Amino acid sequence: MLEIRELTRRFGENTAVDHVSFEVPAGLMTGFVGGNGAGKTTTMRMVMGVLGIDEGEVLWQGRPITRLDRRRIGYMPEERGLYPKQPILDQLVYIAQLKGMDRVAARTQVTELLERFGLGERTKDNLEKLSLGNQQRVQIIASVLPRPAALVLDEPFSGLDPRAVDSMVDLLREYTRDGVPVLFSSHQLDLVERLCDRLVVLSQGRRVAAGTVAELRDAGVPRFRLVLGGDAGWVRDLHGLEVLDLEGASALVEVRQDGAEQHLVAEATRRGDVHEFVRVRPALSEIYREATA
Amino acid sequence: MSTDKSSPDNLDTDRRDEPPWLLVTRREVVSRITDKSFLLGTAFMVVLIAGFIGFSAWQEERTETVTLAATPDAAAMATAVADAAPGVDENVDVTVVEVDDRAAAESALREDEVDAWLHPTDDGWQLTSESSEQGSLTDVVEVVVQQQVLADNAAEVGTTVESLQAGSTVTTAFLRGDAEKAGVAEAVGFVFVFLFYFAALVFGMQLASSVIEEKQSRIVEIIAAAIPVRHLLAGKVLGNTALAVIQLMVYLVVGLVGLSFTSYKSYVPALSGPTAWFIGFFLAGFIALACLWAVAGSLASRTEDLQATSTPLTMLMLVMFFGGLSLDGRAQVIASFVPPVSAVVMPKRILAGGVEWWEPLLALGLLAAFAAVTVWIGERLYRRALLQTGGRVSLRQAWSAAE
Repeated sequence: MLEIRELTRRFGENTAVDHVSFEVPAGLMTGFVGGNGAGKTTTMRMVMGVLGIDEGEVLWQGRPITRLDRRRIGYMPEERGLYPKQPILDQLVYIAQLKGMDRVAARTQVTELLERFGLGERTKDNLEKLSLGNQQRVQIIASVLPRPAALVLDEPFSGLDPRAVDSMVDLLREYTRDGVPVLFSSHQLDLVERLCDRLVVLSQGRRVAAGTVAELRDAGVPRFRLVLGGDAGWVRDLHGLEVLDLEGASALVEVRQDGAEQHLVAEATRRGDVHEFVRVRPALSEIYREATA
Repeated sequence: MSTDKSSPDNLDTDRRDEPPWLLVTRREVVSRITDKSFLLGTAFMVVLIAGFIGFSAWQEERTETVTLAATPDAAAMATAVADAAPGVDENVDVTVVEVDDRAAAESALREDEVDAWLHPTDDGWQLTSESSEQGSLTDVVEVVVQQQVLADNAAEVGTTVESLQAGSTVTTAFLRGDAEKAGVAEAVGFVFVFLFYFAALVFGMQLASSVIEEKQSRIVEIIAAAIPVRHLLAGKVLGNTALAVIQLMVYLVVGLVGLSFTSYKSYVPALSGPTAWFIGFFLAGFIALACLWAVAGSLASRTEDLQATSTPLTMLMLVMFFGGLSLDGRAQVIASFVPPVSAVVMPKRILAGGVEWWEPLLALGLLAAFAAVTVWIGERLYRRALLQTGGRVSLRQAWSAAE
């Protein structure tokens, strides 16, 4: 498990990351969301030791992280980073060697991964000759070399077509199944909602929300939608409820006082037919907008 | 962490034979020497050096054959010229063609059948040729005719040339070698200065742009997460230094071997010592500059910025180039100890001779100390500037930035 505790980084007057804490549990995919300049990249760079930490610490398996630990963490920087004018096999082997693999083992593993991604025929091609999707595949291979203890991926899905996203997701799932913690940032909320087990929302350098998607959706003030046989105007007169929306037989209410929704149901059945009474959970995008507002 | 596969501890990932800087060095060297443009450039220079030396040697050894027309009254003198020619200028070979009279000589000249025509005039001798100069022939004819006429005149008054010239010889002695030796030292000195400038500029630029390439593509973040940035810098500097020194040695060896096929071959042993010193000075000087080139690269965010961030360095290179070429006297002696200019000035002084044994050692020591300082400063600047993106980084920002 990767733990981020009170991480803080200032650039001059500007505090880019302000006492941010969260966990990336083993075997789970943790999504890292937030707008531009929210501090996601800065946080990830601090986790990877690429950027100095002003305050706070990063723990790996419960103890302060070391350089050796970091070498086992697969990292994909925000803007794709590989040598454009070098053959893909050569540079992947080089990166694997920098991460401590010996040459022969590195070659074997790189070749295997390239074949798996359908790049077996192109090992001698320079990176820049590959399509963008294939370049992204090479990039992900670079970050999973050698078999990573954890993955920290900055915007891994940006610029990928849906099929490439799927194959990338398949690969990531393989690692989480083996217990590898995965942290990835994205601003594609639908993708995050679909993939993530957990979610950390950052806004202006602060953590504004964290938890599983279900937890976050349940966390807010409960809202209910009520659809009646007749006019729903009387709902306005009930205590402990705030009517957010009212249109003919349909009403959307927010519970301001515990148990007020029970009164609502009782009153509704007393007055006539109840077609629908359902808890409304906000979409992730809504939570996100509220949290970062 | 549920299965064995996920535990990296049993993966032997740390059975590392090579330190990271060596991996980086090897990559720098391999990616460069497998680069076609680098190989072609080196091959072109080798051909250029060998070709230049070969051409000079050919030019020098080439024997000029001239045909000299002479009427019967000048035949004796013409024959004397032909006989004496190789003794005066070893590259002139004179063939005498006898012609009947003045008219025949002139027409032979116009038809280009002969190169020149030698004939007596009222107060001496005249060498007539078509418009083109016959420089070497003129020199030979002047010497031979003068000797010949002088001998005749001496005989007429009952004496000999030897007695006339007795006591008139001026012999020369040089305390600091002869003019030819000084000329060779000057020429080789120029070559040293030029090679240093050329190599430092080409490899420096290459180093800086490879730093930018890594910074711009962000691969530097992947590398920095895996190994200390210090190792990355060391590997890049050492790799490029090795390449530069190897290339320089190839050029120098081709030059010296080429020289040994020319009439200057007697100088080759004497040049070997200064050449070895030059390589030493180049090594220390290049390492000092290479770190600064790496900094110039790390201050830029895009290739377009390099022009601006490397300006102080290119100025320094120019100062070294012109200083190396033009300084003399006391200024040269002082400059030969001042790094990094000493890297080119001291080898030049060694070539010229008259340097005490301790002087090169002291200069090299100072240069090495200077290199150590630039490595230290360079490492700090490089480490701090490397991971800053978004525009150019100023030296002051880089120096004081937090990591």
